[in-house]
Amino acid sequence: MNVLQNIKKYAWSLLLFVSIYQVKATEKDSISVFSKNHFIFEYYDCDVCGCGSSGGSMGYGTIGNANFVGVRYIHQEYRSKQGIYNNSPWIDENFNTLQAWARIPLSSKIQINAIVPYHFHERELIDGSQKIDGLGDISIIGFYKLITPQLDGLLPEQKTLFKHNLEVGAGLKLPTGEYHGENNQGSVNPSFQVGTGSWDVLLAGDYSVSYKNWGAGVMANYTFKTKNDEEYQFGDQFNYGLNVYRSYTTMKMQTFTPVIGIAGEIFGENESYGLGVQDTKGNVLFSRLGLESNFGKFSAGVNVMLPLVQDLNSGNVEVKSRLGIHFNFNI
Amino acid sequence: MITKYIKPLIFTTLITFFTACSSDDDNVNELSGQNAVAIDFDNGVNGDDLLLASATYTKTNAEILTITRLNYIVSNFVLIDANGNEYTYPKDESYFIISEENDNTEINLPNIPAGEYVAMRFGIGVDQDKYQQGAEGQGDFLQKAEDSFMMWSWQAGYKFLNFEGTFTSETVTEAANFKIHMGSHGSSLDNYKEVTVQLPTSALVSDNLSPVIHVGVDANKLLDGSNKIKLSEKAVVMVDEVKSPQIAENATEMFRVDHVHNGEQIQH
Repeated sequence: MNVLQNIKKYAWSLLLFVSIYQVKATEKDSISVFSKNHFIFEYYDCDVCGCGSSGGSMGYGTIGNANFVGVRYIHQEYRSKQGIYNNSPWIDENFNTLQAWARIPLSSKIQINAIVPYHFHERELIDGSQKIDGLGDISIIGFYKLITPQLDGLLPEQKTLFKHNLEVGAGLKLPTGEYHGENNQGSVNPSFQVGTGSWDVLLAGDYSVSYKNWGAGVMANYTFKTKNDEEYQFGDQFNYGLNVYRSYTTMKMQTFTPVIGIAGEIFGENESYGLGVQDTKGNVLFSRLGLESNFGKFSAGVNVMLPLVQDLNSGNVEVKSRLGIHFNFNI
Repeated sequence: MITKYIKPLIFTTLITFFTACSSDDDNVNELSGQNAVAIDFDNGVNGDDLLLASATYTKTNAEILTITRLNYIVSNFVLIDANGNEYTYPKDESYFIISEENDNTEINLPNIPAGEYVAMRFGIGVDQDKYQQGAEGQGDFLQKAEDSFMMWSWQAGYKFLNFEGTFTSETVTEAANFKIHMGSHGSSLDNYKEVTVQLPTSALVSDNLSPVIHVGVDANKLLDGSNKIKLSEKAVVMVDEVKSPQIAENATEMFRVDHVHNGEQIQH
């Protein structure tokens, strides 16, 4: 919890710093730029649902600096313990999410990202399987570009080989997914839900650099969660990630970008009726392997995340794998 | 540029909004009315779930048990709130048999007054006061006890604990039966004990809140608690002035509240 509190503090400090910086900053360059080989590791709060440990750091697909509308499918496999004993059975949980997502520019420096998820989850309890499905929590987040990569043409003629990009964002996650308290019984994963049922606030930061065809990005985001109608409050969540990639451009101007990285998530303790719920905090660190490709107006990508280290719900929940596939139309 | 003014405005607005969002209202003080409290006795052995007849459990003295029966009487429930106030559940209705073989492991206490309960006290067995009321004073509990193998006879009294199975040890290589029947033996030997357990999370009771208190029961403590009971010395313990009180004492050590579910629904 201390880790999260510290992160929360830093998140606020950063936001304050950024806002002060902005007041002082002079307008430099407000031209929207597009550099073919500079990718931004976008933040997408893959709504925390399906739930607690889902989405989060899978979020950022490597999307070229383009604005887009698209769809993404995320499949997550977990297992969690049903019961309080060493030999209590483990049950398998499969979380599936289909998202409509978009990044739409409001101005040269401001973009809005929106995600509308639909979940269909299932798990095999001791006394039969349980399925839930429905609209998840819609999230909307505004990003502001503090540093934009310089515009100087297509790759072979580029003068500036080193580019960097910094964005900060803030947004909301809406309680559009239904939270059912009865799915949160016993000692099984409390996150088997399609929504948290709460209004949550998101803060995000994203920095990336590139040199020629190589690039790297770091991102972090924090979700402040609030209490839902059933007096349940999921713990705050901090996601972070580091990625390295290289772009390959073919003769037909298609781009292939393999990505390798790590991604982590830290969860605070859930609360029920204002009282902490034991065994609900945790953290997980993933390895990540992905491939992003662009062809004309379209882009597609696939990402696989496998846990390296994890300690979720005092060991009572384990994430096994995550897979994300997206298909976007650049606008 | 218009964005020059928009930026500070947006950030200021966001900061104000986020700051305003962090509230910590406490609804615990608004508890009123009454509701049921469920107590789930989840039987295990030294960290493992209790599986009757199908699993083995090893004691510290290398005796290996297969358990075929674990029945015990819990009684005289008292709920203690954050201010130390005690609510005593009506005595006549406060006797229950927990039986793994009959799948009777959850008890329900209706009409508990609203409150934030932090601890619970209960008895293991039947107290002398109750027993002194005679067979008629026992109500239908007497019949229930007989049906669950928790009576010797009226004169001999209730078995507070009926713990049976087979075991092997270094000296006993062929599986032999063990029977631990612990009780008060009429009024001559009082083995009734009480235990107080703390709740790791407060149990909230109100008109719309009906908690479940999930108790982890470690049956290993019965023989392997503060008092070490060797089955190879004596495999059938019934009326035993030395070992019965030791087992009664051990029984008080086997209860621990694992967690509490607060909420509207009484299901698990």
